[in-house]
Amino acid sequence: MAHLFRTVFIQSLSKTTRPMWSTVQRNMSSHNKETDEEFDERWKAYFDRPKIDGWDIRQGINHMNRLDLIPEPEIISACLQACRRVNDHSLAVRYLETIRYKSNAISKQVWPWILQEIRPTLDKIGVSTPEDLGYDKPELALKSVDDM
Amino acid sequence: MSGFLLRQVKLSQPQLASLLQHQCRAEASTSSSATVVQNNPVVLDNRKPAPQIDADRMRMHPRIGNREIVGYGLKGKPEYFDLVMFPCPSIRWEADSPAIAELRKKEKGDWKQLSTAEKKQLYRSSFRQTFEEFTAPTGIWKWAIGWTLLSIAGATLAYDGWRRICYRFEGPDSMKDAKLKKQLEYHIAARQGPMTGLASKWDYETGTWKK
Repeated sequence: MAHLFRTVFIQSLSKTTRPMWSTVQRNMSSHNKETDEEFDERWKAYFDRPKIDGWDIRQGINHMNRLDLIPEPEIISACLQACRRVNDHSLAVRYLETIRYKSNAISKQVWPWILQEIRPTLDKIGVSTPEDLGYDKPELALKSVDDM
Repeated sequence: MSGFLLRQVKLSQPQLASLLQHQCRAEASTSSSATVVQNNPVVLDNRKPAPQIDADRMRMHPRIGNREIVGYGLKGKPEYFDLVMFPCPSIRWEADSPAIAELRKKEKGDWKQLSTAEKKQLYRSSFRQTFEEFTAPTGIWKWAIGWTLLSIAGATLAYDGWRRICYRFEGPDSMKDAKLKKQLEYHIAARQGPMTGLASKWDYETGTWKK
């Protein structure tokens, strides 16, 4: 209580901002009031559906790729397990390539960390990483579609 | 069911398309191509016509052939694309050959049993290029800078040539020898450049240039 008075007193003297000692999140925009945890839960629940099909996985991957974030390792694991349920290994590799490309755009340290976090899932399911398949370097030199 | 509809009920093309579209969305779901391969006793052959009519295939068959439709893709059309923004295209890259159908069966089992070569084969069957390939640098910037400089040089030379050849006209009267001589006499008379310039080289007593 004394701390509260003191901070208010100081605030009245100088124009310092009040320290955020509560856990309430203040959104600058008015439409999205979801916290990070809710966001993660929503996407994990989306991929954890037992009867999910390849169509919805691809929709989810495409949608999440458009968002301005890299998904949490839990979401990545959930998506890889969904790929396992529909028996599509290439889709899982494609998804990992997406994550790799996005994280390399930020920093070279993100992708090894993500790999390390999802390593248990990778080993359990048996998905190869792009590096395992040799897809961290270009393999075929095909003509670009824009040049045809 | 689609054959029954086509025979008994006379629907217009858009109505039929939308009806079949719902069926298509329900069926083209898993990647195991169960509905596409098993309905035919013969495994899909790219030289034969498409096995199953659905709305997307009705629109796009000559362009996509027998390839399996697996997702929504970019705008809902069954086209293949390699884009960074949309990693999963709506159709596979290759139609299911017998070898790939075998691999797909194996894919249903344990993925650790798949060798690296088989995984790569599966990947190339579903996708045309890897991310690294279609985001690789193309080196077009060298081409662009080169052509820019060449065109600037060409334009400069063309302009200069035109000025020299076409844009000629007779010089003004004041550049003729007699007038220039008169101008020089006037400059000397006016003592232009008396210290270090023109008039300093003229000897005013003798009326000639200084030796």
